[in-house]
Amino acid sequence: MSARTIGVVYRKELMDMLRDRRTIVSSILVPILTFPVLMLAIGTLATIVVRKATRESPTVMLLGEANAPSLVRLLRKDTKFEIVPAAGDYVQRINDKKLRAAVEFPSAFEERLRTNPSEPQTLNIYHYEGELRSQSVLRNLEEAIEKYSDSVVASRVATAKMPASMLTAFELKKENVASAEKVSGNILGMILPYFVIILCLTGAMYPAMDSTAGEKERGTIETILASPAGRSDLVVGKFFLVLTFSIVTTALSVLSFSGSVLIGAKLLAQVTKSFVLAVSAKSAAVVFLMVVPLAATFSAALLAIALVARSYREAQSYLGPLIFIVILPGMAAMLPGVELNNRLAMVPVLNVSLVAKDIFAGQYHWHQIGIIFASTCLYAALALFLAVRQFNREEVLFRT
Amino acid sequence: MIEAQGLTKIFKDKKRGEIRAVDGVNFKAQPGQIYGLLGANGAGKTTTLRMLATILRPSSGTAKVAGFDVADDPEKVRAHVGFLSTATALYGRLTAREFVEYFGRLHGMDETALAKRIDEIFARLDMNEFRDRRCDKLSTGMKQKVSIARTLVHDPPVMIFDEPTIGLDVMTARVIVQFIRECRAQGKTVILSTHVMSEVEKLCDTVGIIHNGKLLAEGTLPQLRERYAEQDMEEIFVKVVGE
Repeated sequence: MSARTIGVVYRKELMDMLRDRRTIVSSILVPILTFPVLMLAIGTLATIVVRKATRESPTVMLLGEANAPSLVRLLRKDTKFEIVPAAGDYVQRINDKKLRAAVEFPSAFEERLRTNPSEPQTLNIYHYEGELRSQSVLRNLEEAIEKYSDSVVASRVATAKMPASMLTAFELKKENVASAEKVSGNILGMILPYFVIILCLTGAMYPAMDSTAGEKERGTIETILASPAGRSDLVVGKFFLVLTFSIVTTALSVLSFSGSVLIGAKLLAQVTKSFVLAVSAKSAAVVFLMVVPLAATFSAALLAIALVARSYREAQSYLGPLIFIVILPGMAAMLPGVELNNRLAMVPVLNVSLVAKDIFAGQYHWHQIGIIFASTCLYAALALFLAVRQFNREEVLFRT
Repeated sequence: MIEAQGLTKIFKDKKRGEIRAVDGVNFKAQPGQIYGLLGANGAGKTTTLRMLATILRPSSGTAKVAGFDVADDPEKVRAHVGFLSTATALYGRLTAREFVEYFGRLHGMDETALAKRIDEIFARLDMNEFRDRRCDKLSTGMKQKVSIARTLVHDPPVMIFDEPTIGLDVMTARVIVQFIRECRAQGKTVILSTHVMSEVEKLCDTVGIIHNGKLLAEGTLPQLRERYAEQDMEEIFVKVVGE
């Protein structure tokens, strides 16, 4: 093998590919534009929905207002819902989604609370189970009514001359100890590795087909085979080209994705304050290091397979199903309970997907990272060996 | 110089079993001469020439091209051969100049020598008008010139032409025929395959008639005419093949 020849082949293939409009579209424009456009569409849609929801305040009906004058006063002051005049057909109206909820006060409700505290009393709320707005107004009503209930209990305790602290046995405190990186790592770590793996494959697909089956289709395969370049040099030159495209496509998509998420997060912050995105440069670098040998494996394997095809179209039908084969282990990593161990560290695709999940969550299992890097490099070497062998098989090169 | 001895190529076909595409072919082609392989479609011409150009490996037998064995030294053989067929297409997205440059680089030429050589060839073949045009935008005649320039860039002593004029119009075919004659005049060893009888009469010093993978007759044109008592090449061919 000659490094000089490999370089000559690589430079020519790169120039050739960059002049192809289809390459520019599929490997550069699409990965850059997909996410901002997607984000913009989703963002716009979300804003419209949220704005509409906030503009319309949900309606509540109070039945038997006279039975609970002070509670009614409290509810009327609440701005989260709007009180509508009482009517008999409230059940029908809730079902028709014209009314979100109704509260029914039993007769002499407040009076009995005062005069006969030991007698149990019931307050009814009618709502629509599973209907989003009805559920949210139900929560608001419960909150307001509980506040009233607390005040009633507090005044009873006061009249009994007991301290207010008697009411609570102890306080319950919840605290999040996971770092922002881990919280976002869990969300990002779920989708990003899966995403990166698919991109690595699809980014390599077009150049792999073009430089193998494409050469056969255009009749240049005989021209290049008659040149003094060794067959291994040709394959390795083509391999580096495919690898370049795989990595560039993935990098562009991830950059564009991160950019869109960051900008999108700022917009979304008005809606949900808790959205944090924290990917450290270190985790990005380590994941990249894991992804390069995987991209190399894909590139070499795709070359080996696409070379069998006689035409571009035939190559597409061979490579298309590969997406599904790769999606499966990529998705398996998203399942709860599938955790990285020494054995899974040897499973191609799944291992990278799993380790990326951990790395994004700020966990670095260096021992397994080592195993994964080494095993993926081994798979890449194997795939490249296979591709070289394919280029030396006459029945593959001149299939009729 | 080309020397083939017992050159054989066997293809394995699932339906038809073993096919002896080329079967024990012996011949010699001398420098400064044109050797023509005459045969019908499927006779084994292309396979023979592909073995000489080391695109295919012989199943058995040997061939020496420019002093190198096709099986042991394929890369050296290719470095001394110019191979041209109607199947050797151009890279459409490269310009004429880039295309020829690419092959010059694959031959290991250094940049200054390559630039000089390309200027020389492009001037001689009258290609400067379209040197920076993309190959897929060229006419058939221009494309043929680019292919010729490719085979010449490393100035090989041996030229192999596989049905060089098939499917070309009269004017383009003439360019090729003239080019083949020039190669002979420069003392190169030339071998070509064809099924066109008139091309044989026009060009070849020695003719080998190949049929079903076997070389059935060989000789100079006068020798063949005498042996088969026929003047017309087509009649000779029919007599040889029909036997």
